[in-house]
Amino acid sequence: MSDRTSALALPGGRSHPLSAIRGLVPRLWPLPVGLRRAITPLAILVLWQAGSSLGYIPSRTVAAPIAILAAARDLLVSGALLHHLTVSLLRVIAGLSIAIVVGTTLALAAGLSRLGEDLIDSTLQMVRTLPFLALVPLFILWFGIGETPKIALVALGAMFPIYLNLFAGIRGADPKLLEAASTLGLSRAALIRHVVLPAALPNALTGLRYAAGIAWLSLVVGEQINADSGIGYLMMDARDFLRTDIIMVGLGVYALLGLLSDQAVRALERRTLAWRPAARVGR
Amino acid sequence: MSAAAADMPPSRDTSVRGLVRRFGPTAVLDGLDLDVPAGAFIALLGRSGSGKTTLLRTLAGLDVAEQGSVELPARRAVVFQEPRLLPWKRVWQNVALGLPAADARAHAEQALREVELAHRMDAWPLTLSGGEAQRAGLARALVRDPDLLLLDEPFAALDALTRLRMQALVAGLWARHGMSALLVTHDVDEALLLADHAVELQHGRIGLRLRIDLPRPRRHADARFAALRSELLTALGIAAEEAA
Ligand SMILES: Nc1ncnc2c1ncn2[C@@H]1O[C@H](COP(=O)(O)OP(=O)(O)O)[C@@H](O)[C@H]1O
Ligand SMILES: [Mg+2]
Repeated sequence: MSDRTSALALPGGRSHPLSAIRGLVPRLWPLPVGLRRAITPLAILVLWQAGSSLGYIPSRTVAAPIAILAAARDLLVSGALLHHLTVSLLRVIAGLSIAIVVGTTLALAAGLSRLGEDLIDSTLQMVRTLPFLALVPLFILWFGIGETPKIALVALGAMFPIYLNLFAGIRGADPKLLEAASTLGLSRAALIRHVVLPAALPNALTGLRYAAGIAWLSLVVGEQINADSGIGYLMMDARDFLRTDIIMVGLGVYALLGLLSDQAVRALERRTLAWRPAARVGR
Repeated sequence: MSAAAADMPPSRDTSVRGLVRRFGPTAVLDGLDLDVPAGAFIALLGRSGSGKTTLLRTLAGLDVAEQGSVELPARRAVVFQEPRLLPWKRVWQNVALGLPAADARAHAEQALREVELAHRMDAWPLTLSGGEAQRAGLARALVRDPDLLLLDEPFAALDALTRLRMQALVAGLWARHGMSALLVTHDVDEALLLADHAVELQHGRIGLRLRIDLPRPRRHADARFAALRSELLTALGIAAEEAA
């Protein structure tokens, strides 16, 4: 999808403010967009490799791209990467699942009833201002050093965006639509099912996307403390041996996982929000 | 609002007596009386802010008046100025919303055919044009087989040509179904094209009431149309001067 199509496909026929300016800039580059965007990273890679080969970038600062590739291959062949990756993935899945269940339950309770809002919302808004990563020492005291503190950290961090976005989405449901639907004789339960929840879905999915990002972030922190497996452990272990190549592989894996989970949520958005003209254009 | 005495057969007439609705200190509806006999088509005129929407919302059950009594047929349906379709439901699902599940789709299709929109029944509402969306809103009202159809400036946002087609459509539907209709409109021509009576809401009450006795189907070109038009305009104009 080129920028041009997506700019024109914004709802209401408004075009992106930039598209007017873009039209004025002469197209010096006849290359496809994907290729043009790859130019800068590729240039950096080439300079980096050259710097390493010529000895300007010592490997204890950062390994050369080729060394990183070699490390990645070794880790793949030995099965270590797959092992640690699986462990990390399971932790995120467990933590994110808990966050989705708890966050959604709380948001529904607070969003759909005044009592629920009074009991839940202000408290959560308060707790949310805590930098939750600062809870790591407490979590270790409470949950020891096994899987529990890591999963708990992921769950706690990911719960807030899910709660906040779903709550806002429920409360933001268009009163005009609610009114129209209520003239059709829908019960309260039917209004929630047919109007409120679908109206909140775009927000909920945005929350999920943020939650996935925070889940990986929490895992990075969780796995660097008292872990004996997982990508974070792999990186900390490599640090002790000054293996910057393995550290870079770990970074790359984290980035890839973050990207993949983001893409997964976007795919979910495209499927469930097919009714939005903008969603069908994709981005 | 107290429901009037529990008469034996449920009446298809609409009758409003002494309706009062305040927003803050000002009474928007101030002892309003209005009758919409079964099968009648009433056009409700009045300047912006005179309380037309408030009255319609009260009849729709969306707003509760402080005083007065309202007697209404049980089956009512509303068409708003904006189509207010649920964007996440296909057109036919919007029309069928709230109907018993059994053959909901068939009923929706029938109603959509009446408004000439059956070919778009599986479309998403956000892909409809303004006129199509408003026709879907009309189908959603029709499918409930209402005794009283409430229309709040339903064509105000449409272009002139589409509006003419919609007016003809509504005239046909009303003639076929025989429900009563209360149409809020700014447009004197629209009132003359569609209604049996034009009434004006003024100072919280029905001020002017003009019978529109033209043969149907009505045409702008009709000489009596022009005569009634200037009569209505004069009446509204004089009313406006008195208000000042
Ligand atoms: N919910 C509300 N709260 C306060 N004022 C309102 C509300 N609804 C309507 N009003 C006021 O009541 C008056 C009549 O409004 P409305 O019935 O919408 O007029 P109309 O449809 O004739 O233009 C307006 O002055 C409007 O500002
Ligand atoms: Mg109005």
